[in-house]
Amino acid sequence: MPWYLYLAFKQLFPSGRRVTFFTCASTIGVFLGVWMLIIIIGVMSGFGYKYSRMIIDTQGEIQVRGTFIDNQEQLRGIIAKVSGVAATTPSAEGIVMIEYQKRPNYPGIIGVDPESVEKVIPISKYLLQGSMDDLDDDAVILSAGLAYALGARIGSKVTVVSPLTLERLNQDTYMMPTELTVAGIYEFGHQQLDKSIAIVTLRRMQELYGLGDSVHGINVRLAPGADADQVARAINETLPAGSRMFARTWMQSGEAFLFALKIERFMVIIIVAFVIVVVAFLVTSMLLVAVARKTREIGLYGALGATPWQSAMCFCFQGVLVGTLGTFLGVTIGLLTLSNIDPIARLIARVTGNWDLLVEIYQFTKVPAHITAPDIAIICVFAVGMSTLAGLIAAFRAAKLKPVEAMRSE
Amino acid sequence: MSDSVLTARALRKTYRSGNRRLEVFSNVDFHIAAGESVSIRGESGSGKSTLLNLLAALDTADSGTLAWDGCAKTGNAARGRFVGIIFQAFYLIPELNALENILMARRITGRIDPAARARAAELLDRVGLKDRGHHLPSQLSGGERQRVAVARALMNSPRVILADEPTGNLDEKTADSVMDLLLGICAETKTALVLVTHNPLYAKRTAREYFLHEGTLRPVR
Ligand SMILES: Nc1ncnc2c1ncn2[C@@H]1O[C@H](COP(=O)(O)OP(=O)(O)OP(=O)(O)O)[C@@H](O)[C@H]1O
Ligand SMILES: [Mg+2]
Repeated sequence: MPWYLYLAFKQLFPSGRRVTFFTCASTIGVFLGVWMLIIIIGVMSGFGYKYSRMIIDTQGEIQVRGTFIDNQEQLRGIIAKVSGVAATTPSAEGIVMIEYQKRPNYPGIIGVDPESVEKVIPISKYLLQGSMDDLDDDAVILSAGLAYALGARIGSKVTVVSPLTLERLNQDTYMMPTELTVAGIYEFGHQQLDKSIAIVTLRRMQELYGLGDSVHGINVRLAPGADADQVARAINETLPAGSRMFARTWMQSGEAFLFALKIERFMVIIIVAFVIVVVAFLVTSMLLVAVARKTREIGLYGALGATPWQSAMCFCFQGVLVGTLGTFLGVTIGLLTLSNIDPIARLIARVTGNWDLLVEIYQFTKVPAHITAPDIAIICVFAVGMSTLAGLIAAFRAAKLKPVEAMRSE
Repeated sequence: MSDSVLTARALRKTYRSGNRRLEVFSNVDFHIAAGESVSIRGESGSGKSTLLNLLAALDTADSGTLAWDGCAKTGNAARGRFVGIIFQAFYLIPELNALENILMARRITGRIDPAARARAAELLDRVGLKDRGHHLPSQLSGGERQRVAVARALMNSPRVILADEPTGNLDEKTADSVMDLLLGICAETKTALVLVTHNPLYAKRTAREYFLHEGTLRPVR
């Protein structure tokens, strides 16, 4: 080990003594900055990540929409051939009245094809109770919020009335309300989606809405690694001309919210980056004080045969060491915090009393966290880079000192 | 004068502060032979420290030449091996204990190996601080600190030791014992010694004596 590295280390952690104030203060400074950066980026990207996962899990990466698609089998065949497409499933949606024990509710209703839906929209993954296998034409799956509002459980028989019933009334025919058995209850973890949605088979939905064989859309799941925009473009090109059908990606349907998240994330990163710059200033000034305090000692290194460049490295390394140590602590504790972010956020919210408000704004019932390796790498490079710069500034001051003058200084 | 370890010729040193110039000396010749001891006395401000800094190549003369025997060049890299410097104010590194301070001289000029550690321990023993190796400078007395500095100066087995008032910060009794140690150790190891001192008694104990006065270095003995 070169002597300047050794001495840098010893000046931070002197023999037989507790760590110095400088070491503590500057390491904690860097640590706090990195810690904050990790948490904030983790939570901000967590919302984006969770939101996109959720959009994808509830509708697939690409949706093909048209007013009435009556040749869905043929269309699915065409779409399935587009490269990058892993699976397709047809769907139809609308609004109905559901009643259970005289408690009516007006949820959105989605008709799905039990054969193919799981490959595109993995409902099973979100089922709290029941099973997708039980979803037949006389069954319904309720969102957790809806089940709660109705007071229905697995096996409850609910009555469904569709708008078609009213239409038929006008035509002086009567359509019997449909009775369905609750086969499952799901929760996506997103407030709006869990509030009021019922899932039935596509056949049942077509009957309720009098759609015949037609559907409202086809949802597409992509093969891993496929680019959604590219596949959507390819699908649009293969769709029959003049069919008034259109494929769009999940990013286009959730655009506004994702954009808001991106802006928010960017702003916060800028602010926290400034925090690290401030920390770097702290490290710089503390190192400069050290250089000033040690002026005579730096002269001594020269007297013992050191070059000014080597003496400078001693101070530069102190910046690097402090930066590395602080960053390491920040990343470690930051990742630990992120993996426990939900209980921590709940605790803070309980103290400040605004958990409900948070759920209202972000729609998530759990605080999500997601951080990627490149994000962590950027944070590390930035924090260590700033501390190194701090060390360099001090080092230049040290290098400019001439041994004789340094030793004569008072 | 073929066995001379350090030779300086026609050294001239002028300090400039603002537009005033102060010529400390204009033509000083100095040499010291291997294993020889030389003392330099002189009034305060006569330029003793200035001369010593020039001999150590810590400062550059306006004109004149300096040669270290066996070194092609005088400068930082050669200094650590060729000369050992002892200062009035000890200048130990406060974060390092006594043993590590001694080893620092080797760390800067080379590598620390078991032989170096053994030498440091031996020197520590020689200066009478065998059981103080793990003391930080702040945990040592003034005399003990200067003993550590003496050991550090000897660590790389230099050809010459330059000591600038090494006992100036010590009381008489401590000063005597440090001076005994320094003179003894230099004689033992046949290391040349340039001793700057105010004390005529110490000066007498060296082989040759000089007096620096108004820019001229005059041999007394
Ligand atoms: N950097 C400097 N700039 C200007 N003048 C200086 C500088 N260093 C020393 N001097 C002057 O040079 C002269 C010699 O200084 P030096 O330190 O060599 O004296 P000295 O003989 O060692 O004195 P002392 O016995 O008090 O240590 C003094 O008059 C001092 O004021
Ligand atoms: Mg002096």
